[in-house]
Amino acid sequence: MSRSITLGQYYPGKSLIHRLNPRAKILSLVMVLILLFSLHTYEALLAQLAVALLLIWNTRVPFRYFLRGLRPILYIALFAIIIYFFFTSGGVVLLRIGFITVESHGVQQGIFIILRLITLVLFSLLLTLTTTPLALTHGIGYFLKPLRYVGLPTEEIAMIMAIALRFIPTLMEESQRLMRAQVSRGADFETGSIFRRAKSLVPLIVPLFVSAFRRADDLALAMEARGYQVGAVRTRMYEDTIMPLDWTVLLVVIAMVAVAWILGL
Amino acid sequence: MFIGTDRLTHTYMPGTPYAKKALDNVSFEIKQGGFALVIGRSGSGKSTLIQHLNGLLKPTSGRVFFDGHDLGQKGNELLKIRRKIGLVFQMPEELFFSETIFDEIAFAPRNLGLEETEVQTRVIEALEEVGMEAEQFIDRHPFQLSAGQKRMVALAAVLSLRPEVLILDEPTAGLDHSGQKILFKLLASLNKKKNMTFIICTHHLDQVAALADQVLVLQEGRLVMDGFPQKIFGRRSQLIKMGLSPPVTAEIMADLAERGLDVRSDIFNLEDARAEINRLRRHRVK
Ligand SMILES: Nc1ncnc2c1ncn2[C@@H]1O[C@H](COP(=O)(O)OP(=O)(O)O)[C@@H](O)[C@H]1O
Ligand SMILES: [Mg+2]
Repeated sequence: MSRSITLGQYYPGKSLIHRLNPRAKILSLVMVLILLFSLHTYEALLAQLAVALLLIWNTRVPFRYFLRGLRPILYIALFAIIIYFFFTSGGVVLLRIGFITVESHGVQQGIFIILRLITLVLFSLLLTLTTTPLALTHGIGYFLKPLRYVGLPTEEIAMIMAIALRFIPTLMEESQRLMRAQVSRGADFETGSIFRRAKSLVPLIVPLFVSAFRRADDLALAMEARGYQVGAVRTRMYEDTIMPLDWTVLLVVIAMVAVAWILGL
Repeated sequence: MFIGTDRLTHTYMPGTPYAKKALDNVSFEIKQGGFALVIGRSGSGKSTLIQHLNGLLKPTSGRVFFDGHDLGQKGNELLKIRRKIGLVFQMPEELFFSETIFDEIAFAPRNLGLEETEVQTRVIEALEEVGMEAEQFIDRHPFQLSAGQKRMVALAAVLSLRPEVLILDEPTAGLDHSGQKILFKLLASLNKKKNMTFIICTHHLDQVAALADQVLVLQEGRLVMDGFPQKIFGRRSQLIKMGLSPPVTAEIMADLAERGLDVRSDIFNLEDARAEINRLRRHRVK
């Protein structure tokens, strides 16, 4: 079973953050992100970064998982450096290459933007690395609930998301198995022209669809047999109750936001 | 050494919290023309092991040998070697993708780059090897067949490679009793006629035990027994403790012996059991 939850980035653990209710985590994250976007002093930003690092340390998730999560923003960071360093004027000239100058305001702003981006991603990773995808969907589903009043079938959307999450790893595993099996029949998925390679996918895609449809059929039958009904109110096997701990964390976050705003940071 | 491994270890998803050592220091050898069974409860690493034997999985450490080659050290040649080792996956009919049985079986020889006439020869040959009349079947859709026939076509789809070694992962899963019987009969005849080497993972020991000349027992990724069937199936209590069920005939013999009858305890196929019981009865009559 452990394999089926490797989708997403969940890293199992028992830390405080792991144990928080996903709804509390999502709400906290949203508040922290808003706060991060409204900050404009270095001190406040560094304080936030410090909080993020402290929490990361607390989760006991190896830091390399966070580094891996930061990799995608590398290019954005590079882009920001170029834009800010070279095209923002003001302050002291630090460097002159031909007609291009690097001036201190630009450097300051560039670094600020990048630090903000890093902090932002770290906080987001704190959520995704400590919450199972399923818990995450339930949490998101909860916040989507009000949309039911404008006619959105939120229960069903949450169900679809949960099923998709449940089956993506299964299908990935299945496609891996199929690929190996066809390779053992001499299939070659790697060489040849694009056209040839596209054609070579047929022995993979056809069985994958066949099995996906069979699974969908089985699942629909099983769900109906257990009384699943569209539009019916469902209860959950594991109710995630909001604990005092969750309230405490939410209050701390609210306090943090309030302080930042009052001080005008 | 014909085919085998040397201190083979395989870890799935190394370096993650989900790392799983599926094989641990496994060494064994199977002789050319041999008929080996790999048994162990589910999750013991059987499928992982056999996928190493034709290079589909790479060892985390240790080596895999075939016919004097180290599979790990072959780049392009691995492809050539792999063709000599046919692997029939579990539920192989789930791999079908063609519109006709002909195309399905022709997939492997076409991948070898053979001429279309040679491909045709091989398809017909393979179908006949599994006891299906070519004319009657080649144009039909694979999904029109019965479960047993599908399994045979899946087998033919690998036989068309003309492998020297045939590895089957749970070949009887999902087949009824007669389907199992037909399949094992076929495997036995291929083993004898063509001197093809067989390696089979299975739960259905009753019908296949008599064919084997070697049994490998896996437990949680470790090879805990390796030897002649007589020797392995003789260790009934150990097998049972591992959650495996010895062949029914072995159980019956053990049961008779427990009741004080003088029977041989190393019997695990139907013919020998029948002979032994008849011997006992004659003995009694006298
Ligand atoms: N692709 C994979 N990724 C991660 N773990 C796997 C994978 N395939 C198998 N395993 C694990 O390796 C162990 C051995 O599996 P397997 O070789 O399929 O056993 P068997 O065929 O004897 O049932 C099991 O614990 C299984 O969960
Ligand atoms: Mg298996």
